[in-house]
Amino acid sequence: MKNKMRVLWLSAIACNGNTHAFLNYPYMEQFLDDFEFIYHPVIDSEYSLEDIVSKEIPCDILLIEGAISKEFQRADVSVVDIIEKYSKIVQKIVTVGTCATFGGIFRESGYEETSGMHFDQDKPSQKFQDLIDKTISVSGCPVHPEVLVNTLYAIKKNAALKLDNFLRPKEFYAYTIHNGCTRNEYFEYKVDNHQFGKLEGCMFYDHGCQAPFTHGSCNKILWNEINSKTRAGLSCMGCTEPTFPRQNLFSTKKNMAIPENLPVGVGKRVYLTLAGISKAFKIDRLEKKLIDD
Amino acid sequence: MIKLIEKIEGEAKLNFNFKDNKIDFVDIEFMSTRNIENILRGKNAFDALVINPRVCGICGHAHLIATVQALEDCYDNLELSNKAKIIRELTLNFELIQNHFKWYYLTMLPLFGHKQQVLKATFPSQLMGKAIALFGGQYPHTSYAIVGGVVCEITEIDIIKLQHYIAQTIKFVEDNLVKTDSENFLTCKDADVLLDYEGDLPDILRQIKKEELLEYGKSYDRFISFGENSYFKKGKSLKTKVSHNISVEHVKESEMPSSFAKNVSFKDKYYEVGPLARAMVNKTPLIADAHKKYGDSIFSRILARVCEISQLLEHSKKLIKDLDLSEESYIEPSIDISQLNSSGYSAVEAARGTLIHKVEIENGIIKNYEIITPTQWNLSGGTKDKLGVSQKAMIGLSDIKTAELVFKSFDVCSVCTTH
Repeated sequence: MKNKMRVLWLSAIACNGNTHAFLNYPYMEQFLDDFEFIYHPVIDSEYSLEDIVSKEIPCDILLIEGAISKEFQRADVSVVDIIEKYSKIVQKIVTVGTCATFGGIFRESGYEETSGMHFDQDKPSQKFQDLIDKTISVSGCPVHPEVLVNTLYAIKKNAALKLDNFLRPKEFYAYTIHNGCTRNEYFEYKVDNHQFGKLEGCMFYDHGCQAPFTHGSCNKILWNEINSKTRAGLSCMGCTEPTFPRQNLFSTKKNMAIPENLPVGVGKRVYLTLAGISKAFKIDRLEKKLIDD
Repeated sequence: MIKLIEKIEGEAKLNFNFKDNKIDFVDIEFMSTRNIENILRGKNAFDALVINPRVCGICGHAHLIATVQALEDCYDNLELSNKAKIIRELTLNFELIQNHFKWYYLTMLPLFGHKQQVLKATFPSQLMGKAIALFGGQYPHTSYAIVGGVVCEITEIDIIKLQHYIAQTIKFVEDNLVKTDSENFLTCKDADVLLDYEGDLPDILRQIKKEELLEYGKSYDRFISFGENSYFKKGKSLKTKVSHNISVEHVKESEMPSSFAKNVSFKDKYYEVGPLARAMVNKTPLIADAHKKYGDSIFSRILARVCEISQLLEHSKKLIKDLDLSEESYIEPSIDISQLNSSGYSAVEAARGTLIHKVEIENGIIKNYEIITPTQWNLSGGTKDKLGVSQKAMIGLSDIKTAELVFKSFDVCSVCTTH
């Protein structure tokens, strides 16, 4: 019998979006050969939730989905107590998705002191301070299944993962969502006439796209192996970041006609200068229909 | 006796009262809520398109479609292309299909003593996820349907890819679920004939018959379905009498003292929603026959849900033929949302039944938002004198294991209910 890594999937204040994103992992057979869930929200497990909360079941990795509040219970036990019990025995803790990492949408659900495990939005939280060295965050609303699964394999292999300031593996979060977007040229050459429902155009200028300042690999590894929101024509909503969800998600906040949020590391003055120059290009290919008659 | 029912996208607590070794009453309790309706208040109306899919990880797309339709209902004379309507209907179909596969192979099979079949759940549901992602960029949690249409422009090559996902899914059904040409399954009008086929569905149906479970799960035999589209009809069915003249006005939500979930009734009566309700209102011959023979039992309820997979795949093929790619995907509304003071509602058929969204907007800001989910209909917890649908279905059973089977035959979604 192969030595499988034992994983506890614990949902806190969640929508189960990460659970179902995970079910889209294409090589599930292989995964289930290498890992075993002692509890999972939909996959059958040897133990029930009642077993999990009442006993201490041997476990290697604790996965947490959903925002965390002491007040929120599973099977009549506070999720904080469940986390504390298992975090002592596991090798690693993985906060799965943006709620578990930063608080996300359900940070606002009205429970006492709701936040992510180590961060309340971008502010460090003191609650689980002693567990910070054990934790890896894979943010996203939901998490990308490959990001989650490959992080679990890295833990299994004891591979050294370099993490960013929010404990996210740089392998996935050093990129921006903008990397690999099929609409990049409209951004590069400042062709700013995007309309929804078209293959052409970039949503950064008017429609709230956060891809140039959001970290993740959506356009590098693609969703469901085939597409991404920005490729389809929907703005990046910045769902991997501590600020998710911002307000007015479908429109770009501007000051003096310049987007308030610029690409990571780009200053306003330089952006303005460069935009002016880029606009001098008149690229016929980008001014008309991409697939024309 | 209290039993925690797990793996229903969360949990519910069922408190069973026995009398003469039979279940006499069941109290259903949901232990939490996430206050999505409060989260929405004060936000820009369009932001609901991003927040609401996060009501639920397994049927979030239905929440997106319900949101966009409720917002569109706030406008007068909003223009929507036929193409956008068809695309929305397609992606919603695909979500229903992926849900039914997961329910059957992950939830139902183990309740009949079989091993859970994770790969049989994930393979076809991943194909349906791809089909949604083709339009929406990703699944789950896209917001691709916006007021005025959809964000994507679709090409002929996309349609070819889509047809492949559908064909592959149909092949999966024919190789596993009901081992025959889908045409035979779809034209079959006799539920007993279906028992002669091979496949994962007939296996369970035969088991229900063999183990004499045919009487289990019967409730009021009263069904309702509000979400209308090119496939589903709006209406209610009492036994077999169908009327289409119903209005959302008569749907009422009420607080329950013991649970975070709210009760839902129509004209003060509890109704079953979901695939069986839709099939009764649509008068689908195979399901009507099952109902005639076995009533609103688990047999009919399970059959109706699985049967919808093939029906919706077939219907989606037809819808694709009606797509005119030269039409606009999106038509910008003539009024900016910030100038709108209005209210609207929508009713769509989600995997588990009728989903209703109601919104009030003031200068483009959400003043009030109400969500009524399918599980609220089926799991409304009534009193002994006035039982909810699933409560009634469990009365008289002699053990909790069977009660759990009956309960889960409604495809319970805890996260939706605890929105």
